[in-house]
Amino acid sequence: MRFKPSILLLAALLPAFGACATRPPADDPESLAEFRQTNDPIEPFNRGSYAVHQAIDRNVLAPVARAYRDGVPEPVRLGVRNALANLRTPVILANDILQGEPRRAGDTLGRFVVNSTLGVGGIFDVAGNRLGVRGHTEDFGQTFARWGIGEGPYLFIPVIGPSNPRDLTGFGLGIAADPLIWLGQGTTVDVLTYSRTGATVVDTREELLDPIDAVERSSLDSYATLRSAYRQRRRAEIENRTGGGTPSGFGTGFGVGPGEPSAPSRR
Amino acid sequence: MAPRRLLLGTVLALAATTGRARAQGADPTRATQFIQATGQELVSALNSNAPVAQRRQQVAAILRRAVDVEGVGRFILGRWWRQASAAEQQEYTRLFEETLIRNLSARFGEYQGVRFSLGRAQQRTEDDVLVNTVIERPNIAPFALDWRVGDINGQPRVVDVIAEGTSLRLTQRSEYSAVIQRNNGQVSALLAAMRNQIQQLAAREGH
Repeated sequence: MRFKPSILLLAALLPAFGACATRPPADDPESLAEFRQTNDPIEPFNRGSYAVHQAIDRNVLAPVARAYRDGVPEPVRLGVRNALANLRTPVILANDILQGEPRRAGDTLGRFVVNSTLGVGGIFDVAGNRLGVRGHTEDFGQTFARWGIGEGPYLFIPVIGPSNPRDLTGFGLGIAADPLIWLGQGTTVDVLTYSRTGATVVDTREELLDPIDAVERSSLDSYATLRSAYRQRRRAEIENRTGGGTPSGFGTGFGVGPGEPSAPSRR
Repeated sequence: MAPRRLLLGTVLALAATTGRARAQGADPTRATQFIQATGQELVSALNSNAPVAQRRQQVAAILRRAVDVEGVGRFILGRWWRQASAAEQQEYTRLFEETLIRNLSARFGEYQGVRFSLGRAQQRTEDDVLVNTVIERPNIAPFALDWRVGDINGQPRVVDVIAEGTSLRLTQRSEYSAVIQRNNGQVSALLAAMRNQIQQLAAREGH
């Protein structure tokens, strides 16, 4: 019962999974325990996706992010980041409410109203900087987790990054639930949607330049490092233990954050 | 559930005090003071104007004193520790220490101007204390870093750092285990990869 939605999604994806990781024999309880703990039964497939992702990243995503960092002044980049974060707040608000967190929902709503008006369409984080109301992340994946839905097996999706059936479903719902999509159809809406998607990918990748460089430099197996880090971080996000600042958006799978500097808050 | 765990905790604590001086390490005040002092030392070493080689020596000395390097290394190697030969265990511990120090010194540039402050809460877990700090660097959003402090032979020692919910030792255990597994369970393959990595880091630093 608990894993139902994950299993459904997995069934839909299953034909794509050619390879499965070898399950350790039952007479080796330690490696069996680790196999379960790692939660990556389709590891060979995921590692293939990771290789594809790295090729795209090295040739397109990272160079574009670096050019963006070098070519665009910091205040402008901060404005872009704030504006993108502001566009994400309706979905964060919906998830605050779905999780039954009135205080956090109030923060999100207040931030949206203040930043959209006084912050000139969200370019300036007036609520965070002047009023001390910091943003936080929420998404449908986290809401599902709070409702008791298990994560399902680990997945690595090129460009989107580390994920799992629950978070991937949540990610899709987050796009579907976005108010911009309800604006209607037509060239203007299409242009807006594509520009926003492009900007989000570039902004997120720029934010992650240093952390990902550090992982690639210091890790002997960056795939395994990202897998472990993603799962730990998600757990912390679900329990609202993180500050809610970096990383944000997709292109990373690290969840969709408010995207602006925020002071760490603890329960 | 909670009262029962509390009772169990009290019984265990009593058993521990009559046995060894275990409760000492789980003293939040002492752990906090220890992190405060070690953090100050680290920050001033990182921010000093001394040449990189000298700064690395300073940082290495602080880490050797403050971190339970052997214990952390063993934790990270996990189940493979027992499968390693005595010589491999010894070499692993040496390589692990060097990796730790080299990786940190490779990032000296990023830590220029770093400041830290003690966070609000200090929680006691079963046999460790979690000390919360906030790390601030110029132009970068502050982030939460938790230090897990254990009692090693009566002295407080860092046994893990947790950045925004991600434990360094858990992540590294996963990484090392993946390397060994992908090399048919050979611990020697991990040692070779570590040696190689240290060489690369050294080459980058120009030493």
